[in-house]
Amino acid sequence: MTVSFGGRASSVRFEGVTKAFGEVVAVNAISFVVEAGSLATLLGPSGCGKTTTLRLVAGLELATAGRILIGDDDVTGLPATRRDVSMVFQSYALFPHMTVIENVAYGFVVSGTPKAEAHAKAELGLELVGLKGYGPRLPSELSGGQQQRVAVARALVLEPQVLLFDEPLSNLDAKLRRRVREEIRDIQQSLGLTVVYVTHDQEEALAVSDKVIVMRNAEIAQEGKPRELYEQPADRFVADFIGDANMVSADILSVDGTHARVSIGGVEVQVPSRGLPVGPVQTAIRPESVLLDTQGGEGLAGTVLKTAYLGKHMEYTVDSPVGELFVVDERVHAPLAPGTGVTIRFGDRIALVVG
Amino acid sequence: MHRIARVAGLGVLAAGLLGLGTGPATAAGKLTLYCSPQIEWCNLMVESFEKETGIKVAMTRKSSGETFAQIKAEASNPKGDVWWGGTGDPHLQAAEEGLTQAYDSPMRKELQDWALSQAKAAGDKTIGIYAGALGFGYNKDLLAKAGLPEPKCWADLIKPEFKGHVQMANPNSSGTAYTTLATIIQIMGEEKGFDYMKALHKNINQYTKSGSAPIKAAARGETTVGIVFLHDAVTQVVSGFPVVVVAPCEGTGYEIGSMSIIKDARNLDEAKKFYDFALRADIQELAVQAQAYQVMSNKAAKPAKESPNLETIKLIDYDFVKYGSSDERRRLLEKWDTDVKPLPQ
Amino acid sequence: MNGLGIGRYVLGWQLVGLAGFLLLPWYAVEDGFWGFGWLFDGYPFDPDYAPAIVLLLQGAKPWLWPIAGFLLLPALALGRPSTERFTQNVLLLVGGLGVAYILGQGFTVGLRGWNAGFLEAWYGPLGDRQFGMGYGALLAGTGLFFLFTLGCAARGAVNGDGFVVGSIGLIVMVVALFIFFPVARILISALQTNEGLFSLAALLDKLLTGKIWGLDCVYSHRACGVAWNSLALAVAVGAGTTLLGLAFALVVTRTGFPAKRLFRGLTVLPIITPPFVIGLALILLFGQSGAITQFLEAAFGIPASRWLYGFSGVWLAQMLAFTPIAFLVLIGVVEGVSPSVEEAAQTLRADAWTTLRTVSLPLMRPGLANAFLLGFIESMADFGNPMVLGGNFNVLSTEIFFAIVGAQYDQGRASVLALVLLFFTLLAFYAQRRWLGRKSYTSVTGKGDAGIAVPLPGRFATLIFGVTIPWAVMTAVLYATILFGGFVNLWGLDHTLTLRHYIDAFGITVGDHGWVWSGGAWNSFFTTIAISAISAPLTAAIGLLTAYLLVRQRFLGKQAFEFGTMLSFAIPGTVIGVSYVLAFNVPPLELTGTGIILVISFVFRNMPVGVRAGIASMSQLDSSLDEASLTLGASSWQTIRRVVLPLMRPAILAALVYSFVRAMTAISAVIFLVSAEYDMATAYILGRVENNDYGLSIAYSSVLIVIMFVAILLLQLLVGERRLGRRSAAKLEIGGQPA
Repeated sequence: MTVSFGGRASSVRFEGVTKAFGEVVAVNAISFVVEAGSLATLLGPSGCGKTTTLRLVAGLELATAGRILIGDDDVTGLPATRRDVSMVFQSYALFPHMTVIENVAYGFVVSGTPKAEAHAKAELGLELVGLKGYGPRLPSELSGGQQQRVAVARALVLEPQVLLFDEPLSNLDAKLRRRVREEIRDIQQSLGLTVVYVTHDQEEALAVSDKVIVMRNAEIAQEGKPRELYEQPADRFVADFIGDANMVSADILSVDGTHARVSIGGVEVQVPSRGLPVGPVQTAIRPESVLLDTQGGEGLAGTVLKTAYLGKHMEYTVDSPVGELFVVDERVHAPLAPGTGVTIRFGDRIALVVG
Repeated sequence: MHRIARVAGLGVLAAGLLGLGTGPATAAGKLTLYCSPQIEWCNLMVESFEKETGIKVAMTRKSSGETFAQIKAEASNPKGDVWWGGTGDPHLQAAEEGLTQAYDSPMRKELQDWALSQAKAAGDKTIGIYAGALGFGYNKDLLAKAGLPEPKCWADLIKPEFKGHVQMANPNSSGTAYTTLATIIQIMGEEKGFDYMKALHKNINQYTKSGSAPIKAAARGETTVGIVFLHDAVTQVVSGFPVVVVAPCEGTGYEIGSMSIIKDARNLDEAKKFYDFALRADIQELAVQAQAYQVMSNKAAKPAKESPNLETIKLIDYDFVKYGSSDERRRLLEKWDTDVKPLPQ
Repeated sequence: MNGLGIGRYVLGWQLVGLAGFLLLPWYAVEDGFWGFGWLFDGYPFDPDYAPAIVLLLQGAKPWLWPIAGFLLLPALALGRPSTERFTQNVLLLVGGLGVAYILGQGFTVGLRGWNAGFLEAWYGPLGDRQFGMGYGALLAGTGLFFLFTLGCAARGAVNGDGFVVGSIGLIVMVVALFIFFPVARILISALQTNEGLFSLAALLDKLLTGKIWGLDCVYSHRACGVAWNSLALAVAVGAGTTLLGLAFALVVTRTGFPAKRLFRGLTVLPIITPPFVIGLALILLFGQSGAITQFLEAAFGIPASRWLYGFSGVWLAQMLAFTPIAFLVLIGVVEGVSPSVEEAAQTLRADAWTTLRTVSLPLMRPGLANAFLLGFIESMADFGNPMVLGGNFNVLSTEIFFAIVGAQYDQGRASVLALVLLFFTLLAFYAQRRWLGRKSYTSVTGKGDAGIAVPLPGRFATLIFGVTIPWAVMTAVLYATILFGGFVNLWGLDHTLTLRHYIDAFGITVGDHGWVWSGGAWNSFFTTIAISAISAPLTAAIGLLTAYLLVRQRFLGKQAFEFGTMLSFAIPGTVIGVSYVLAFNVPPLELTGTGIILVISFVFRNMPVGVRAGIASMSQLDSSLDEASLTLGASSWQTIRRVVLPLMRPAILAALVYSFVRAMTAISAVIFLVSAEYDMATAYILGRVENNDYGLSIAYSSVLIVIMFVAILLLQLLVGERRLGRRSAAKLEIGGQPA
């Protein structure tokens, strides 16, 4: 049987939303849009305001200023209970005194659905997350991953306009984390749900999102598709936070339309100009964009300082005229020993950044 | 939809709490009695009165201090009609503060002089219904064990061998102990009286809070001698405890258990009926049934055989007007507090 | 899902208010809140029973006219969205001013016309008067009040949650009416001279005396001031009961001690013992002629002494009486410590003792602090034990009692002493807050928690058994003595076995018309049961609701709110009793002589315990549970009912048991509030004790103890267990299991 759980997905729109707790401003005049049926991630270090933003969507916090719209409705003043939004908590927040099925059916029961009908719908939800037959158990009798899926099912079955996830994977082990995050993405895409997802794990964010909103100090640092963020980070913070980056000083030699010729310690590369003028500039160079060559040729001269074997690739720390560089190299069959002299060239994963 | 029901539920809760119940009914044929002696006596009075008059009595038993506090608190909207029994001082104080009202009962001619002098002291706002002499009682077993001589007089209690054997109440908290203080002063004069209290202080093992506690302690062997009203000591004897009752040889003071009609009583007619009723000889004789061993104020009332015979006790001419007044009381208590209480024992 | 409309709530409360104005008798009817004789007795035109509108149309009480206006105006807000300023302002103004006006007119016009002399001087004598408010005034006031809170919610107070704002408003209102108002009345008298004039000098004169603050005992053998006595005693009792309560809680939850059920029962006995009885039993055992004293004298030549009379005796009696409270508070907390945290500590190489010391005990801090605070306050306010055993050791509570009922009525002095007592209590409260700080003690989270509690380390267990077992034995002996006292002719003298005390108190004879309750205790017995049974659930509800608001909601003035709800506990019953009589003996709130005033006094005296138990238990519940429920579309009320309450069963039980038991055993406030119709067991027993009638007092007390035991068991069945699905789910046993 097919179940439609996502028919009512709506967009989320923040317009200059501020949340202050007394003197402390947790979210400062932020604006963004999450399209209906897409998955947006709020990403950032702890204390950046991402969880507060999520709670603002949920209505667990009310905005101090600004407007919040879900679909076409202004929900700014509505408390959580009156918003059509469900949330999966970091701690799962399963009610320990209720069975799994009671947990999943809770939203129906409190809105007055007859118990039998509520349980039938809940059973469908459990089936969707692959926990058919677990209904009569208590949450404490399930594994962490199963508890997590119960929490997802509980939020999902209500067919909310928006589904929220607050670091849902942080209590799972690495393998499970990957699997569950794929499951979440699958469900989201197959049901066409609008999902807002909070995490501090950039890999997780890149893996599941249609859009990533990076936050820093209560403000939005950058938003965009995962690839945009990775390849064209707006600033040093984003570059550093999403993936690894070598921050290297360079000079813009010339600008030609959208592209610029940049000299990194004498080695010239062509990168998107991002409207920057000729002159000194900071570049963020991804570790896989630092190419090492033992055969000599054009490039910077460097020396391998440290090496590490990680199975599918090698990691090197290389001393160079532009500073120490962190390098990822996929050629695991021919590792370089510390002390090896190398010639350094650069690939295309280089971004000009401000600040 | 549920929510409205819930909020309404809160409202009902509030309604229940705010409650706003009403006072007891004021319809004719009712009487609210505040009763200060022991409960048996109170019940007996109520039953007899109800049986005889058909008036329904709502009775509350509280000690005289508690009753006084209550009447004072209720002054702006009195709930009680008659305050029957309890030591005389709070009755006098209530009269002084205008909490009670004057009544000239036709039964007055049958009363003892001391009962009428109590009325005179209060401008007829109260009247005596029984009298109890002050004195002390001792536990004869403990006395023998400690090898002490039988105490006969106030003077015996300050002998050094009685050190740690005497108990009395604190006059700040107990009317009985205040009567003791006033009695000693009236017997010996103020200066000598305080000297006596200072000497007695050395022998006191504990100042109790409640007036009758010293004789209960003596009965149970917690102290040898307790200074109390004699009828309280008699109660212990009748209960079977090894207590001997002593009326001091120098003479002693007494309390007058009183009765007052509360000002602005809602059931004044019934209150007066009860007042007259309570002064009748046959009613006063009910005391014996309730094991109350005071001497009654109606001349014709026969005393219980266990009662201390006021004829044989040397009673002083206790000045209720002077020693019952708030100012004199405050002055003496303050003096006792500063001159006697802090002394080493 | 839901619209923004609050229109139906506005309409609902407006109708409630109008019903009060148009249909029900405005003034209190004479035959009591539950008497309905008025329906057939001249209603609606008899002025005694008439609704406000009829009174007004008859031309009486013209000052009631504005209330009609207040009740009609909210119609302006109907049909408009709550986000509109206009709607909000209408609700706020109409509700707020309406309530203020109803209260204002109630206090201004009283039994004898104008209540204040200056009003009479301005407007001339008023040819009319009014009695206490009745159903009508109550409903009108309630309706207007909740319109006001709806206005606040519409303004966005507390996330615009109408239920929460209404609850906060309700509690603020009742606390103001039944705690602040009466207490203010009596504390004003602290500023009055004995002649009734206001003077700051009078306050200072009474406050700064050696009788209160003297330190003579430090450098001489004179007694210290009562303030220091009380403080020293309260600290000693607070610390002692907390430690002992913890020891018992550990034995019951963390050991396999076979007699733990018995322990539980024994620890609970003192809490359900009416006042005075423990003191009397201690005298019989340890007094100068006490059984144990005499045995020690005969067997070991230890001479009898008067150690029982004074600090040591009072301390012992209070320890016996109040350890159960600490136990009840701590057992829930000890159970609440998540076993997995302890297991975590053990995996970090901590041995059992280190785990206990560094993890478990710190996690119990809220419980320990609460237990100490309760012991401290109980000791401060207790007057039964110091009265019986105090000797020359005076404490504030007894001084207050005798300042009111003693040889010299001095309400001003009582008030000053009450202020001192209040000051100490608030100080303790403040210290507790400081000590707990901002740390998190959450340990029941939304994750299923499976683990087994760590057993006690060996030597520590020995120590704990060494303390608890003798204590339990002593309690057992004490109660055996007490029980025995009910079955003998004359306790301490004539030990012939008899049932006459029970027959005197609870005799039933067959008369002409069937059964006759001939025992003397029946009247007060039934009243006590009824009043306690009514007040216990009310107390628990208000206490836990308050705890929920304090722990889970953020709102303006929360600190002041918490302070207000704790205040009544800090004030000794005697003061509460007198202040209630002062405040509620006259219109507009005329309650003296009713059962309602007893219920109210119990609810507000005991509410703080419900609050503390609720707070302790709720701070162990992860707030994401509530939030999950809210985001799933449940309202705050549904969240409370379906998620919070089921997880707080131990706290509910504690609040219910405690308030029931307290209502049955309270004495100090009750003395002033009992009336002929509503006499309470303890007041009756006190009368018997004063009359030397120990046999009957003890017989009555024993019956009460049995009743309370049964009640506790019933409550336990009713409230049920908390399902957490832990592997070693502790079974609830006799004696309550509270937080």
